[in-house]
Amino acid sequence: MTIIAIYSNKGGVGKTTTAVNLAYLAAQSGSPTLLCDLDPQSSATFHFRVQPKIKKKARGLATPGQAIEDSIKGSDYANLDILPADFSHRNLDLSFYDQKKPTTRLRKALKPLTKVYETIFLDCPPTINILAENIFNAADYLLVPIIPTTLSLRAHMQLLDFLRDNGYKQKNLLTFLSMVDRRKKLHRELSEAMPQKLKGALPVSIPYLSQVEQMGIRREPVLAFAPHSDAAEAYELLWDELQKKWET
Amino acid sequence: MTQFYPPESSGFHQVEELLAQETKISAEPPTSERLTLHDTFDWRLYNNALAFIQIGAHYTLHNWNRQNTVDQCTFNEAPQFVWDLPPGLLRTTLLPIIGVRALLPRLDINRQQHGYRILNEDEKTVARITLETYYALQQAPDEPLLYVVLLDSVRGYAKETEHVRQILQAAGFRESDAPMAPGLLAAAGITPGSYTVKLNINLRPDMQAQTAVTLILRSQLQIMKMNEKYIKQDIDTEFLHDYRVAVRRTRSALSQIKAVFPEAPTQRFRQDFKFIGAFSNQLRDLDVYLLAEEEYKSQLPEFLQDDIHPLFEYLAEKRAEAQQAVAAGLESAEYRRIIQEWEHFLEEGNDERETAVKATLPILELAQQRIHKHYRRVIKKGHRILKDNRDEHLHSLRIECKKLRYLIEFFASLFPPEKIDQIVRQLKQLQSNLGDFNDYTVQETYLLHVAREMPIRGQPSRDALIAIGCLVGELHRKREAVKSEFAAAFSSFANKENEALVTELFTPRRKK
Repeated sequence: MTIIAIYSNKGGVGKTTTAVNLAYLAAQSGSPTLLCDLDPQSSATFHFRVQPKIKKKARGLATPGQAIEDSIKGSDYANLDILPADFSHRNLDLSFYDQKKPTTRLRKALKPLTKVYETIFLDCPPTINILAENIFNAADYLLVPIIPTTLSLRAHMQLLDFLRDNGYKQKNLLTFLSMVDRRKKLHRELSEAMPQKLKGALPVSIPYLSQVEQMGIRREPVLAFAPHSDAAEAYELLWDELQKKWET
Repeated sequence: MTQFYPPESSGFHQVEELLAQETKISAEPPTSERLTLHDTFDWRLYNNALAFIQIGAHYTLHNWNRQNTVDQCTFNEAPQFVWDLPPGLLRTTLLPIIGVRALLPRLDINRQQHGYRILNEDEKTVARITLETYYALQQAPDEPLLYVVLLDSVRGYAKETEHVRQILQAAGFRESDAPMAPGLLAAAGITPGSYTVKLNINLRPDMQAQTAVTLILRSQLQIMKMNEKYIKQDIDTEFLHDYRVAVRRTRSALSQIKAVFPEAPTQRFRQDFKFIGAFSNQLRDLDVYLLAEEEYKSQLPEFLQDDIHPLFEYLAEKRAEAQQAVAAGLESAEYRRIIQEWEHFLEEGNDERETAVKATLPILELAQQRIHKHYRRVIKKGHRILKDNRDEHLHSLRIECKKLRYLIEFFASLFPPEKIDQIVRQLKQLQSNLGDFNDYTVQETYLLHVAREMPIRGQPSRDALIAIGCLVGELHRKREAVKSEFAAAFSSFANKENEALVTELFTPRRKK
């Protein structure tokens, strides 16, 4: 059983599209998979045509219980379920903060689900507060998409500092390049340089492709509507590299 | 998942229309699959609530009472025998059920599936409906055998699934968890369990003897005919076994139930069936020896167990020849003529048959006479053996017991079942002792004969001779042990309780 958080402290880097496509691939391989949408913007939920609502008692996600399980919806695809986001997720950090052991509440809430699913993906909002710490404590792997720009790199360094200063291990932090536009010189140069500088960099570069934008219109994973496209191949490569990491 | 049967002959068009009226649906591309149901000739899996179904190279064993899948396997060629199966749940489940019988394709089905997704306003799939139409490929490829509607829920959308269920129920669809395999067979007009080698004839006590015996003989002829085709195809050893049982019963009826038919045809057919019985003797013997290979090996010390293999190679060669001889015999003009004439003889209103002395005797009377007579003979011969312990008397008693047993089985329907079961049980035990003694005797002799006849092809053959010798010694020892158990077995059969039961059932009584 593995929990993978698709996380970034920057917004708009391709977290949701990554979460949606990787969850789809995991499910296709036969593994019972749950995609848990923690972002009040509920994009992942939207991509699967699920309504962004969870049971009242489950709001806050602070305690494990039947209400969380009852909120899960089956996607249109075999082996893949969705725990939808709810607008109340905008206050998740507050609900955790009020509890004992506030940074491990999410891990506790997910525990019953780990018996049912082999793989759980967390689609995370771009925060670096208590919710983020809950995510760091719940996830086996942190998968961070990085756009090859100076500002992205700078934000990533801030993340690494935070992790180090707060005693979080970095060994399960994995990165890959996202929304890469090879027409831009900066992207090309940083694409080459960054993997060498960063520990945990996967040799994967997801290009910026309109097919991926189509996902929001079609409301399907790109692997479902364009399985042989460049975008699909890129995510398959990412999935392969991720699995290789698990095996070592 | 819930299963529904539609109201009278509604096809998938109607279901599609019905659902489109009340919900949003999206059709999936239809699929078509060929399914084959495998079972033994005598439906052993069916009788154990099992369905062994093949789709392409995938074979699944379902238990429909427990509604679960027992095991699944992939095979390039359809597995015929339990020993073709890899170790696993499939093999351990089937072994006690099918034994040495072959699995045969019994029903070929074409299943067409029309799938629909039920959608909500977001065009999310909230439930799935599959309409399955089954066709019997051989019997009626264009006429649907069965329609089934399957409703699958999607997690978290219980209300929507319930809505669809209600639509279906309101339109007359019946929810049912009736198992699929028996339903398909019934719809295809196949009645498993209709074949049995057991005697299943209901006689009435006042039936005329000739009528009753004709019924018995006809049923045995049916069994012979049903098994003939499969013997020629060499599918498994049990077809010949069942065929020979029917032949033995026919011979026994002709010999033991005297004066029911005129003398001339009786004698003539006795000869014919003696011939029929004989031409498959060798093949049956060889089948039995080959099936016993593991048993024989286990009776040898470990250091000889592998050495005996050349014997079985030799027997397998002989068996192949014997199989060809039997197949040729069954196709021969002589055999076909006998069967034709026998069939004609057994037909209703055949004038040739009316002149026998006991033809019109009520069957109950005749049955009692014959059974009582042979029972007395068994008792007399048994007592003789207690005195002189001679081997040939043991063999003679075994034959007498067989005659008695066949007679009781022929006429069992004329007597109370529990009492007949009791007598048969007791007789079986005695027959078991006598049968074992005979088997060991025959095997000793045969193995010695084969050992002397087997061609020597190098050292392995010589080693085999040693192993055979050891086996013969072991068989002899067992034979002597079984012989010493005869007295107890016979006394148990000849006790006062059984004597009383026999008197009660079989003393001929005349109604005045």
